[in-house]
Amino acid sequence: MKKIINIILSLSLLTLFGCSLEEEPVTSLGKQAVFNSEDGLKAYMYGLYDILPTPDGIQQSEANLSDYFAYSGVNSFIYKDGYNESSSSSWDWSGLRSINYFIENCEKSTLSDKIKNNYLGMARFLRAYFYYDKVTTYGDVPWIDHPLAVDDPLLYATRDSRETVMEKVYADLQFAEQNITQGKESTCTLITKWAAYAFASRVCLFEGTFRKYHSLSLSTSSDTWLDRAATDARFLMDNGGYSIFTTTDSTAYRKLFTSDAPKTSEIILGVCSSASLNVYHKANWNWNTASYGNCPNFIRPFINTYLMRDGSAYTDKTGYETEDFSSECKNRDYRLYATIRTPGYKREGSIALPDFSGFARTGYHPMKFSVDSKDGDNTLKNTNSLPIFRYAEVLLNYAEAKAELGTISDSDWEETVGQLRKRGGVTSGLSTKPTKVDSYLKTTYFPKISNPVILEVRRERAVELCMEGFRFDDLRRWDVGKLVMMPWRGMFIKDVNVALDMDSNGTPDVIYYTDDAGLASAKSKIDWDKYKSTCAVVNVSKDLTSSIVTVIPNGTGYNLGWGTKDEKLRVFGKKQYLYPIPALVITKNGKLTQNSGWEDGASNDGSDVE
Amino acid sequence: MDCTFVTQRIGFSRFLAALLAATALVCSPDYSNAATNRSLGETTQIGELPVSGVILDAKGQPVAGANVIEKGTSNGVMTDMAGKFSLTVKEGAELEISFIGYTTQSLPARGSMRIVLAEDSEFLKEVVVVGYGSQKKVDLTGAVANVGSEAFENRTLPNVTQALQGAIPNLNLTLEDGKPTRSSSFNVRGSTSIGQGGSALVLIDGVEGDPSMINPNDIESVSVLKDAASSSIYGSRGSFGVVLITTKASKKGRTTINYTGNFSIQRPTESPDYVTDGIEYATHFREAWYNFFGTVPTAMNGFQQYSDAWLDTFKERRKNGIKDEVVTEDNGSYTYYGNTDWYDELFKDNTFAQDHNVTISGGDDKADFYISGRFYKYDGLYNYNPDTYKSVNLRVKGSLNVTKWLKISNNMDLSNSDYNNPTILSRAWTVQRFIELTAFPTMPLYNPDGSYTKSMAATLGAFESGNNYIKTNKKSLRNMTSFTSSFLNNRLHVNGDYTFSYQTDQTDAKSYDVSYSQKAGEMLIRSGQNTAYEFHPSTTYMAANIYAEYEQKFAEAHNFKAMAGYNYEKSKYRNSSMSRNGLLLSGAESIELSTGSNVTTDETIRNWKVQGLFFRLNYNFKERYLVEVNGRYDGSSKFPENDQWAFFPSVSAGWRVSQEPFWKVSPKAISNVKVRASYGSLGNGNVNPYSYLELLNVSTSGRVINGALNNKITMPAVKPSNLTWETATSFDAGLDISFLNDNLRFNGDYYIRKTKDMYTVGVSLPDVFGAASPKGNYADMTTRGYELSLTYNNHFMVADKPFNFQVKAALFDYKSKIDRYNNATKSLGDYYEGMTIGEIWGYETDGLFQSEAETQGYVNTIMQASANKAWHAGDVKFVDRNDNGRIDYGDNTKDNPGDRKIIGNSEPRYQYSFGLNLDWNGIFFSAFFTGVGKQDWYPTTESSAFWGQYNRSYNNMPQWHVGNYWTEDNTDAYLPRYSSLNSTMGRGGSNFYNDRYLQNISYIRLKNLQIGYSLPQRWIKNLRLQRVQVYLSGENLFCWSPMYKRVTGFDVLTITGDTDSDLSSSNSQGSGNSYPLLKSMSLGVSLTF
Repeated sequence: MKKIINIILSLSLLTLFGCSLEEEPVTSLGKQAVFNSEDGLKAYMYGLYDILPTPDGIQQSEANLSDYFAYSGVNSFIYKDGYNESSSSSWDWSGLRSINYFIENCEKSTLSDKIKNNYLGMARFLRAYFYYDKVTTYGDVPWIDHPLAVDDPLLYATRDSRETVMEKVYADLQFAEQNITQGKESTCTLITKWAAYAFASRVCLFEGTFRKYHSLSLSTSSDTWLDRAATDARFLMDNGGYSIFTTTDSTAYRKLFTSDAPKTSEIILGVCSSASLNVYHKANWNWNTASYGNCPNFIRPFINTYLMRDGSAYTDKTGYETEDFSSECKNRDYRLYATIRTPGYKREGSIALPDFSGFARTGYHPMKFSVDSKDGDNTLKNTNSLPIFRYAEVLLNYAEAKAELGTISDSDWEETVGQLRKRGGVTSGLSTKPTKVDSYLKTTYFPKISNPVILEVRRERAVELCMEGFRFDDLRRWDVGKLVMMPWRGMFIKDVNVALDMDSNGTPDVIYYTDDAGLASAKSKIDWDKYKSTCAVVNVSKDLTSSIVTVIPNGTGYNLGWGTKDEKLRVFGKKQYLYPIPALVITKNGKLTQNSGWEDGASNDGSDVE
Repeated sequence: MDCTFVTQRIGFSRFLAALLAATALVCSPDYSNAATNRSLGETTQIGELPVSGVILDAKGQPVAGANVIEKGTSNGVMTDMAGKFSLTVKEGAELEISFIGYTTQSLPARGSMRIVLAEDSEFLKEVVVVGYGSQKKVDLTGAVANVGSEAFENRTLPNVTQALQGAIPNLNLTLEDGKPTRSSSFNVRGSTSIGQGGSALVLIDGVEGDPSMINPNDIESVSVLKDAASSSIYGSRGSFGVVLITTKASKKGRTTINYTGNFSIQRPTESPDYVTDGIEYATHFREAWYNFFGTVPTAMNGFQQYSDAWLDTFKERRKNGIKDEVVTEDNGSYTYYGNTDWYDELFKDNTFAQDHNVTISGGDDKADFYISGRFYKYDGLYNYNPDTYKSVNLRVKGSLNVTKWLKISNNMDLSNSDYNNPTILSRAWTVQRFIELTAFPTMPLYNPDGSYTKSMAATLGAFESGNNYIKTNKKSLRNMTSFTSSFLNNRLHVNGDYTFSYQTDQTDAKSYDVSYSQKAGEMLIRSGQNTAYEFHPSTTYMAANIYAEYEQKFAEAHNFKAMAGYNYEKSKYRNSSMSRNGLLLSGAESIELSTGSNVTTDETIRNWKVQGLFFRLNYNFKERYLVEVNGRYDGSSKFPENDQWAFFPSVSAGWRVSQEPFWKVSPKAISNVKVRASYGSLGNGNVNPYSYLELLNVSTSGRVINGALNNKITMPAVKPSNLTWETATSFDAGLDISFLNDNLRFNGDYYIRKTKDMYTVGVSLPDVFGAASPKGNYADMTTRGYELSLTYNNHFMVADKPFNFQVKAALFDYKSKIDRYNNATKSLGDYYEGMTIGEIWGYETDGLFQSEAETQGYVNTIMQASANKAWHAGDVKFVDRNDNGRIDYGDNTKDNPGDRKIIGNSEPRYQYSFGLNLDWNGIFFSAFFTGVGKQDWYPTTESSAFWGQYNRSYNNMPQWHVGNYWTEDNTDAYLPRYSSLNSTMGRGGSNFYNDRYLQNISYIRLKNLQIGYSLPQRWIKNLRLQRVQVYLSGENLFCWSPMYKRVTGFDVLTITGDTDSDLSSSNSQGSGNSYPLLKSMSLGVSLTF
C-alpha cells in the first residue's frame, strides 16, 4: 500500500514539475519586433491613418451643421436650449495616445535617423491633425506629447493656451514638411510632404483669421499666422507640381468628385474606395434618400451666390428674386450644375429632376458627391474617391491670406481664384482682382466687410469647397456664426395648386398643393393619367407654424420654406464659437476650466445674439 | 433472468439491487437449498399452511429474487423470475418480505398472496455522481442536483442542451434561437462575473467536453455541482459550478438490443405576423412617413416608388376586382400592386425531423460492451434552399477485468454534424431582418417573365439561387482510456484515465450576386460580395487524471474516506480563416475558384494548460454527523508567471437530525431530516490566454492605402498591473426533509456567492489618458439565491393494477448586486456600486396627449416624434418627475437621472418548473412545464418586428398594430400617433426607454408532453421482444406570457440576447428577427430485443 502511494506521489510530482505552464502567444507581436523594422513602422503607420476621415466622414462632413443647408432636423448645438456641457461628448483622446506611443517608440528604434524621421514626420503630421480639431472645437486644451502612464501628473494638467498649442502644432507641421520623404504619388492616398504643406496653410489661415476677427491679443499676431499660411501655400504652389484639374468640356468639377481614381493633378490627399476590395461608401444613399440621415437641402441665398458665366453676379440681375428654378439655372457657373440637380441633369439616361416630393424640400437637391448610377441609392455602393486636401483649397488659402494681409496682387488673383472661376466657365474678371463691393454678399453675409477682394474670396471659397467640411470652421473664424440662423428659404414657385413645369420641357413636373381641392383642380387642368407617374405632388401650407413644407408669399408667387415653425429657435451666441468641455471631463479633472458662457450647465440660450 | 435488467425506466438503485439479487441467486448455496426445500415438502402437515404468492413492484412488474422468510425462523425462499414463490409455514405465522431497494414488509401468511413492495426510499440508496467519484445522496453535504436519463427519453431534440433546458433548478441554459445547431453555455446559479465572465465547467465522463456533440440517448445522468464545496475539486475552472454528464454503462447479462425511432413534425412557435394586404401596408407607410416628415414619401426604402396616385390606382384596381399584381408600363417598367405574405414564402408550414437510435449492450464478469449509434435528420424550415441538419453519433465502450483487482475500459465517441444555413447577400444579417426592411407586401416575388423582383433579390432570391450560405461541419473524436483497480479488500481504489479529443468546426461560406429586374427585358444585379470564405477552427485537447481513494471504518461508527489525485490538461485552439473575392462562377464552391484582389487571411491561436493536485476527505459518525473537506492546488498557464498557482479549499458539513437517538418522530410523518452547510472559495480561471501581456495586434486595415488593404498594427492595451485571480466565494445552506415514508421529499438551498476582485475597468482616468483605463481586480458582486424542490411519489391500485404517480415542482431565484465598481459618478451607462444586475432605467409616462392644447408648454427636446420636434395629440406624454419644466436625463447618473427611474429588470426572476408523471398498466403520461415568474424586456431600437413603422416608415407592419394606435377616434389606444422614427417609444436606445412600452415577458411553457403505451409482455413474447413502447411526444406545445395579450409574433424565449450569433452583426438586427423556436409533435417507438 505504501509502495503504491509512493509511486503515485512520485509520478504526480514528476509530471507536475516536468510540465511547464508557459504558453507564449503565437499570433501577436512584441514591441521590439515592430519598432525595429521598417515594415513594422509602416504597418503601425497604416493603423494611424485611421485618424484621417473616412469616405463617409467626408461626404457627410456638413450633413448636420452649416449655414447653406436646410436640414430635416435642427442640430441641437444651434437649437435654443438644446445643448449644454452635459450634451457635449466628443472629447476623445485615443488617437493622440496611439500617435504618441508611436513617436516614443520610434524615437527609441535602432533604425537609421533618416528612416525614423520620415515616419516621425508622418506621425507628427497626424498629431497636428488631431490637435487642430481639438483647438478649433474647444480652444485651449492640454498639450500632451507622450503616452501617459496611469500616474502621470499631466493627466490632471490645466489647459494650455491656444497660443502654446498652436505653436506646437505648427512645429509638428514644419517637422513633417522637412522630414517626410514621400512626394507626389499616383494613388493620392499616402501622407506626403505636400499634404503637410497644404495642411499647414489651412491651419495657419484658420488661426490668423480667427485671431484677427475675434480680436485676440496674443503675443503672436494674426499677421504672423497669415504670413505662414501664405508662405506654406506658396511653397507648395511653386514646388509641388500640382494644378487645377480641367477638361475640355464643362464636367471637370463634377468628375473631380465622382471618379473612382483621384485626379492626381489636383488631389493632394484623398480617400479611395474600391469595388474589387469591397470597400464602399454611401454618398448616394445619403444624398438621395429622404429618410436616411438629416437630408440637407441648399437654401436660396447660397444658390444666389453662384456667378453668371459672364462673370456678373446673379443677384445683379433685375427680378432675380422671383425667377423660377428653370430660369435661375440658366448660364450659371458650371459648378452649380455639379453641385445640385439642375434642368437637363440625367441619371442612367433619364431626366433626373430634384426629388421634389422627397429629398428636395427646398428644391435644391445636392449631388456633388453622389454618382449618376442609381445602384447605391439605397445601399453601400459608392466607389468614387473623395478629397481630404486638394490644390484648389491651397489656392484659396493663399488668396485669402494675401487678401487679409492686404498684399494680394492681380497675378495672385489670376493664379488662384481666376483659375477656379475659369474651370467654372466664367469668362471675365479672371485676371484682375475685383474692385467693386458686391452688395448682395455684403448685406446677406458679411456686413462688416468692405474689402471687395475679401468678399469675393469668401464667395469663391463657399462655392468651390461647399459640402467638403470647411463651412462651419469658416463661419467661426470669420466671426459670422449667426449665419446659421438664416431662414431656410427654397426656390421660387409661381403658384400653388397648379402643375409646374420645372425644366421648361413642356411636361408638368410638380404640383405644390395646399388642400385636396387645390390638388384636384391642378390635376384637372392637365392630362393627369398621362403624367401621374412623373409628376410629383407636394402638400404645402401657407401657415408658417405648420410642420410641412411652407410657402412664403413673394411678389406674385411664393418661396418654399422649411422649418419655418422653428426659425426663431435657431440661435448662435458668442459662447457657441467654442464647444463646452463635457461636464464629466471637468468632474474627473477639476483643473480644467469650462469655456466662457457654458459654465454650470448654462445652455445655448441665445444670449449675446446680435 | 434477463428481463429485469432491460426496462429503460429502471432506477439505478433498483438496477443495482437486481444485480445483487441475481448474483446471490447464482452464487448462494443457501438459497438454492431453500428452493430445494420446497420441492421436498410436498406433503402438508397439520398446523402447516402452504402459501403461494407473487411479489410485484409498484409498477406491477414482478420482483425476482426477493426474500420471503417465515418470521423468526430460518425458513425462507426467494422469488423466481416471475416474482412467484411458494412456501409452507406454521399457521398464524407472519411472513417477512425483503428485497434490496424496497421497504421490508411483515404480513400474516395466507394461502394465496399478492404483495406489492413499496420502494424503499431511493433517497437512502441513491448514488450521485460527484467530482472524481460518487456518493450516496444521504451523505452529501454540498449542493448537488441531478437528473437521470428520463430527461432525455422519448424526445426528438437535436442536442443535449435543448433537452436539459429547465430540467435542473438553477442550471440556466438560454438558447438565443431555435436553430438545430444551437447550444448555449451552461450557467449555474446566475450572474457569475462582470469581469472575466465564466460559465459552468461541463465534464463528460469526468473530462471537459462539448455537450452539444453527444448523443442524448447515451446519457445515464447529469449532476450539477452548484456550490464551491462540491466543485472545488476542479479548481479554477469549477468556480461557477460543474456539470457532470455521465454516459450509460454497459449492462451485464444477456445482450440486449434497443432501437428507438422518432418521427416528428415541427413548426415555429411564433414568428412575426405582418400585414400582408398591400393597400393596408402602403396606407400606413404613407401615414407614418407623413406624420413624421410632413411630406409625402416618394419611395419605400428605394425598393418601390411611392406616390399617392399609385396608391389611388391600387385601390381603384381592387374595387374593380383586378387581381394582377404586376403591370408592365409602356416603357417596359413594372408597377407592382402586390399582397405578398413573405413569411409564408420564407417558412414551410411544417417540417420534419427523424431520430434513430440503436444501442447494443451486454457482457459478463470478464468483459462488457456498449455500442450506440444515432442518426438525426432535420429537413429545415426554409422553403428555399432549406437549412437541413444531419448528425451522426457513434459511441463504443468496453471494459475488461484483467485481474480480480484491475479493470480497464475504453470509451470512444465520434460525432459528425452538417448544417446548411442559407443567407441573404450579406452574411451580416438575417433574412428576417431584410424582409422587415426590404420585402414589402406590395411587391411580389417574381416578375411576369419569371425574373426576381428587387425585394426578392434582397431576401429569398439569395436563398433560392443557392449561392449564398454558411455551411458548417462539426466533427468530434474523443477517446478515453481508463483503469480502475482495487486493493486491500476493496478499501483502496486507484483510478486513472487519459483522454484525447479533436474537434473541428469547419465553415464554408459564400456570397454571390443575385439578378433581378425592374423593367421587361432588363436584368440588374444586386451585388453580393462574390466572395468565398473558409474558417478552420480546431481544438486538440488532452487530459490525464490519476487518483486514489481509501476508505476505512472504525468501531462501526467512524467512517473515513480520503481521495487524492493529480490532473493535467492541455488545449490547443487554432483558427485559420481566409476569404477571397471574385468568384469565377455562380456555382463555384471553393476559394480556389476566386480570383479577386481582396484576400484576407487570419489566424488565431490560443493555447492553455492547467494542472492540479486535489484531495477530498470525508468523515462521518454513524452517518449522523457528516464532514467533507476538499481542496485543490491549481496551476494555469493563463496567468503571469508569478501568479500561476493558487490553493482553493472548501469545507462542508451535514447533520442528519433524524438519525439522532432523540429523534422520535415516526417515519410515516417525517422520515428524514438533514441540514447542511458549505463554504468554499475558488479562483476564476476563465481568463483569455495572454490577456496580461502587452501585445501589438496585427489586423487588416479597412482603408484603401496605396491601392490595397494593408496590414496594420495597433497600439496595445495598457497592461494591467498586479493582475490576480478573481475569486468566487460561496456559502450554501441546505435542508433536505422527507415525509410520509420518503414519499414526499423537499430539498432547499440558500446561497450567497460573492465574486470578488473581478477584472474590470480601473479607476476612471481623465480622458486625456487616451485609452481605456487599465483593467484590474476592481469590482465585487454578490449573488443571492435559492432553490426549492418538492417531489411526491405514490401509487394506488386501479383495477388491481398499481397506478403510479409522481408530481415534482421546483422554484428558484437569484439576484445580483454590484458591491464595488469604478464608477464614481454612478453614471447609468455602466455598472455602479449598489446596482442590481439587469435593472432598466426609463421614463414614467402619463398616457398620450389627447389634444394639441395639451402639448402647449410641454418641453421635451431630447426626443422627437416628428422631424421638427413638434408635439401633437397622440404622442406619448412623459412625466417631468424632477419638476424642472422639461423632460431630461439630468447627468445620466444614478443621483441625477433627470426624469428617469428604475422601471423594471431584465433578469429572469422566480423561475419554476413542475411535472407530472403517471403510469398504469403500461400506459404512461408525463407533462413538464417551465416558467419565469417575473421578467421585463424593453424592445431595442432595431426590434422592428415590435416597432413596425414606428421605427422606419417602410418597415413591415405588425398585424397587432392594426387598429391599435391613437387616432382621434381611438384615443385610448396602446400605441401612439402613427409616426415613424419615433424616439418616444425607444428608438435611439436605452436613453429613451419608458414604462408604457416595457414588456412583461414572464411566461409559462409546456415544455414536454408524452403519452405512451408499453405493450403487455404476453403480446410480444412470441416476437422475441422484451419490450415494445409506442408514444407520442410534444415539445413546446404551449406558452403563455402576459406580453401576448397585446404583442404577437415573438417567442419570449428568443427575444433577449443575441439574434443570431452565427452572423456578424448579431446584436443590432433586432429581436424577433431570429430563427424561430420550434414546437414539435413526434411519434416514437422503442423496441428492445
